[in-house]
Amino acid sequence: MLRYIAFRTLVALFLVWIVVTIVFLLLHLIPGDPAELLLSSGNVAADPQAVAALRERMGLNAPLWQQYLDHMAGVLSGDLGASFRDGAPVIEQIALRLPRTLEVIVAASLIATGIGVPLGTYAAIRADGRADAAISLFASAALSTPVFVVGSVVILIFAQELRWLPAGGFVPFSEDPLEHLKLLLLPACTVALSLLAVITRMSRASVLEVLQRDYVRTARAKGLPVRAVLRRHVVRNALIPVLTVLGLEMGTLIGGTVLVEFVFNWPGLSGYLVSAVDARDYPEVVGIVMTISVLFVLLNLVVDVLNAALDPRISLVR
Amino acid sequence: MTTKMNRRGFLATTGAAAGTLGFLGTQAALAQEGGTLRFGLSAYPPSFDIWTSNGTAAGTVKMMCHRGLLSYDKDGVMQGELAQSWEVSEDGSWTFRLRDALWHDGTPVTAEDVAWTVLEAQKSDSAAYLQGQLASITSVETPDAKTVVMKTAEPQAVLPGWFAHYNMCIAKKGSERDSLMGAGPFKLASVDRGVSISVTANPDYYKEGLPRVAGIDAIVYADENLRIAALEAGDVDVVEYVPWQAMAQVGGNDELQLDTTFGPFMYLTFNATKPPFDNPLVRRAIGHAIKREDIAAAAFFERGAPLEHLPIADASEFYNPELANEWSYDPEKAQALLAEAGYPDGFDCTMLSTAQYGMHQSTAEVCQAYLSMIGVNVTLDLPEWSTRVKKGNEGTYDIAVMGTAADNNDPDGLANVVDGSLPNAFVRSYGLDTPEISELFARGRASFDAEERKAIYKELEQVAIETAPIMGLCWREQGYGLAGNVTGFSNMPGQLTFYSGFTLESAMLG
Repeated sequence: MLRYIAFRTLVALFLVWIVVTIVFLLLHLIPGDPAELLLSSGNVAADPQAVAALRERMGLNAPLWQQYLDHMAGVLSGDLGASFRDGAPVIEQIALRLPRTLEVIVAASLIATGIGVPLGTYAAIRADGRADAAISLFASAALSTPVFVVGSVVILIFAQELRWLPAGGFVPFSEDPLEHLKLLLLPACTVALSLLAVITRMSRASVLEVLQRDYVRTARAKGLPVRAVLRRHVVRNALIPVLTVLGLEMGTLIGGTVLVEFVFNWPGLSGYLVSAVDARDYPEVVGIVMTISVLFVLLNLVVDVLNAALDPRISLVR
Repeated sequence: MTTKMNRRGFLATTGAAAGTLGFLGTQAALAQEGGTLRFGLSAYPPSFDIWTSNGTAAGTVKMMCHRGLLSYDKDGVMQGELAQSWEVSEDGSWTFRLRDALWHDGTPVTAEDVAWTVLEAQKSDSAAYLQGQLASITSVETPDAKTVVMKTAEPQAVLPGWFAHYNMCIAKKGSERDSLMGAGPFKLASVDRGVSISVTANPDYYKEGLPRVAGIDAIVYADENLRIAALEAGDVDVVEYVPWQAMAQVGGNDELQLDTTFGPFMYLTFNATKPPFDNPLVRRAIGHAIKREDIAAAAFFERGAPLEHLPIADASEFYNPELANEWSYDPEKAQALLAEAGYPDGFDCTMLSTAQYGMHQSTAEVCQAYLSMIGVNVTLDLPEWSTRVKKGNEGTYDIAVMGTAADNNDPDGLANVVDGSLPNAFVRSYGLDTPEISELFARGRASFDAEERKAIYKELEQVAIETAPIMGLCWREQGYGLAGNVTGFSNMPGQLTFYSGFTLESAMLG
């Protein structure tokens, strides 16, 4: 078992290295010069001399392999470098922004699970009935509506028309907890909607399957009320695959909340990545992508190890 | 201090924290009424560097905290800031007399600070926006603590304009360039990188009774639709860059105000290092082939106006009505010019624009449609903005769509766009020499006589009409959206629209 974990960890590290290298190379391949961009913003001509001076200061005149080695050396010592734009340490910025993205994802997951599991269970009990059809229709619609459409519509309704909630933005929890939660609500609900659809469908399928099991029939036969059977035997067992799916979805969302963060002005990690790419801020882009890939690989590693713990046959196969 | 925490301790601390929070809450609410202006920025400034150009949002924040020697009032008339008077002497040297002003750290603004600013910004690697212009200043003398004398190689009539630019504010000697520690109406309070910038009123500001608000929270709304939604929802009091499609909506809303000016403009640049655009006849033919009204309609939702000459506004004293329609839509003339240039059947070329900004793309599409009618087959190249800038700087295009504003309302402000003696850059045509125009710009700068300058710039415009170093397409409205209760802030006229941040000092909440 330990050997298995060690092996999987090595593979994970290798994967992270591959990702970082590819991102580093890709960034230098695409056109766009960070020095030139920084000095050209605002429709203003960049003076070639100033650009050259800035490139030198950014260390962009060194050969690519040397830039790569310097960067990898930094990464290994836990230093992701500093932003080209204002010299802010990348690792600090990530530490500031990652929790904000995670917060939206966690809030969305809570909302989605809280509504999706009961909804899916209900649909499964009433399988092929009118309620089931309605819930399935809702799930399909929710799944196929892009987040920027949902985001724009909820802003229109709740911020512009009803004026219940602010249109977007961010206030740290420590500054104004109530305002923070108000601002979190719309983006979290928007992310939750598509997640909700997935969870509803998954719960419905899972509950349906469990309902056919022998132990459910036995429980009913010994005279347990329907509610107790559902609570104690059906939903509990049906939740396992739902949680697996939820875990994977959350992993995808770490880098996938770009549109939601943009629409709601939520200063998380995805939005940070987009602005860094726009400015060709190499240290920032590489740092963020590395963080996301590490998290993703880590999540997969945990799933692998958990699976191995649950089913020892897995670690033997390899 | 003990780090041990029991239940009672925890309750006491959280209770105290809650109490403080409640207290802070009331204060915030009071400040709201007394006036913290919330300003919706279009982007987070890539840098706060005092002398480099980093876009409108950076300029707006700099204008909160910094002041230069001069600026413009809301009607576009030059006025003193740190300098209370300025004059030119017989030999062409400029003398600025400073007023009593204090830096944010409480020390007085001195002539030495001004001299240091000029010397730092004119260094060849300073990356200052006006580095090229400042380089012509040969000496800065400080006869006393309140007087600065600048001498230039050639007489420079336009020198005050440099020191009225928002990218040429004065920094305290030895200060960090991006510290925002200046002599302006607001002091930096806090920065949440990528999110917002907060400033508070500077009680020692040299203008009596200003600023009128207690502070400004500048919050970034990169998405233009959300920026308007935030204004409509009352989350912010002022927004910059009202998108053209939303102008009617903001203007028609009784609770909001729309303040627009015609200033920035769209135009075409050419790659003159190879045929066919090395030929001025071809460049002029392009100008006669495009119906400008369709660009105003398609790209700016009727919030634009045709531009068929050099971008000199009709309100300017340098406007030449007889030249105003010299590049007008005339497909027959366009075809005749093409034939004269040796391209009777037209040619194929690529047009560089960007898909990142709708108005750039729409402008390119309208041009493409009209050019096909005279046999010029255009292939559009629409990369994202960064790549477009790079390609423009390197000249990897035949013809390109561009939009910008001049440096100020003086025709010399157009040099950045038209003068081919400046280094290659994406705002200008690539590799296009304009010896006559460069010489006329130099003469205009050296002349102190208003009538003589008018004649010089008229000649310059005539030369430009004939040689078409750029091709004007369309003026565009530039708008700020304001809540109904905001007064004192104004969108400055014409090319000065991006200087509007200077008026934040007199902004008030109703």
